[in-house]
Amino acid sequence: MILPTFELHHPTTITELVEIARDLTAQGEAFDYMAGGTDVLPNYKNRLNPRPHVISLARLAGLDEIGVDRIGARALVDDLARSSVLSEHYPGLVEAARSVSSPPLRNLGTIGGNLLLDTRCWYFNQSEFWRESKGYCMKADGDVCLVVPQKEICYATYSGDLAPVLLVLDARVTLVGPDGERTVPLREFYAFDGITRFLKGPAELLTAVDIPSSSRELRTGYRKLRMRDTIEYPVAGVALALHTDGDKVGRLEVAVTGTEAIPLWYGDLDLTGQPATPATAEALQEALVDRVTCYRNVPFPPGYRKAMTGEYARELFSALVG
Amino acid sequence: MKRTIKLRINGSEHELAVPANALLLDVLRNDLHLVGTKRGCDMGTCGCCNIIIDGRAVNSCLVLAFDVEGRDIQTIEGVTASADDDSIHPLQEAWAECGGSQCGFCAAGFIMTVHALLENEPQPNRAGIAEALGGNVCRCTGYKKILDAVELAAGRMAATT
Repeated sequence: MILPTFELHHPTTITELVEIARDLTAQGEAFDYMAGGTDVLPNYKNRLNPRPHVISLARLAGLDEIGVDRIGARALVDDLARSSVLSEHYPGLVEAARSVSSPPLRNLGTIGGNLLLDTRCWYFNQSEFWRESKGYCMKADGDVCLVVPQKEICYATYSGDLAPVLLVLDARVTLVGPDGERTVPLREFYAFDGITRFLKGPAELLTAVDIPSSSRELRTGYRKLRMRDTIEYPVAGVALALHTDGDKVGRLEVAVTGTEAIPLWYGDLDLTGQPATPATAEALQEALVDRVTCYRNVPFPPGYRKAMTGEYARELFSALVG
Repeated sequence: MKRTIKLRINGSEHELAVPANALLLDVLRNDLHLVGTKRGCDMGTCGCCNIIIDGRAVNSCLVLAFDVEGRDIQTIEGVTASADDDSIHPLQEAWAECGGSQCGFCAAGFIMTVHALLENEPQPNRAGIAEALGGNVCRCTGYKKILDAVELAAGRMAATT
């Protein structure tokens, strides 16, 4: 499929990249940053919100380090999946990375791109021909949501695998743009609907992910539901982080993906002090299912996906208690 | 508007003019006539277009040509038993012997993926091979013959090194 026409920029330093972004913004020219291209290019091929400019990160130096505290945004998903340092401290993150898409796509895709993954929907991820026939949705070319017909909120589903694990680990992301650098807790980064997705300015580049040392006490795990064991996006995924205090829950963090327009961390789901037993695992299952909402816009019925988040939470809790 | 690009493919330097939005797959097939690399789904989900860039198997339908200037690109045309001639590679030999290819459309993508795998892990087990081939789709063989072919080739290659 021929890509739409765009001008391609290849900055080699962050300073150069910020200058290009500033100039394009000043000229009123829209652009996308592109690292691996595994999310941007299929969307461009389907004519889903292509921009006249693409700023490629292919020739940028660095930003690909993998450490216990900091992961560069350009680190390949495959490198995360094979990282011994991450495997030692955050096995849940490695599990999630190993489950992303397929091996060749993990060789292209980056952690930054995975966190910023565009939302997906039956009515959005289709060819131009299909969308024209059905009628355009508000996420591309139209003004109404075709999942829940109204014009206020886009219900497309977020389906990144790394975000839920990084949410339970309380990671922070660093953003660099024309107005300087800032660090945002991932738990405050995702916001609103399937179009807005996160509080990142269009010219801001995600450069790094930091994991606080206090998260090293947590045992982490990730489970997900998808149509096939490879390639497919998750349509329900759960990340759990647990620290036990004797035979009681010391700290428990839960996050899900593949359910709503953004990955969700359930900060109100507090089981501190509860015994680390199968009964608590069942209480967690029930509490999570109560909170999860799914929409009919990706494979598998919403009720099944919702129930599976509870199943996975229960399984993970028991596995992490060990 | 076309710009000059320099690509290193199968050890040879190529200089040509392509537009900024050119995909590596299109440059390989249309400009350089290296048509062993196939266009399948064009969305990164079938693996027919897999090639090797700097030792990693990737989908060439999702790579911009200008992003890989200066990188080491290998296509199925560069997979030979010996660098001096175009004798067939043990993987291709095993593919033919085991019936790893029926219609043949996916074969180049599979072989490139496995070629990259065996460079890093010369003796993978059957589960490891299947996992590495998680991004390649074959609609004919049912995969058993493909896994047989990889095992046969890996065994032979290990025996001769």
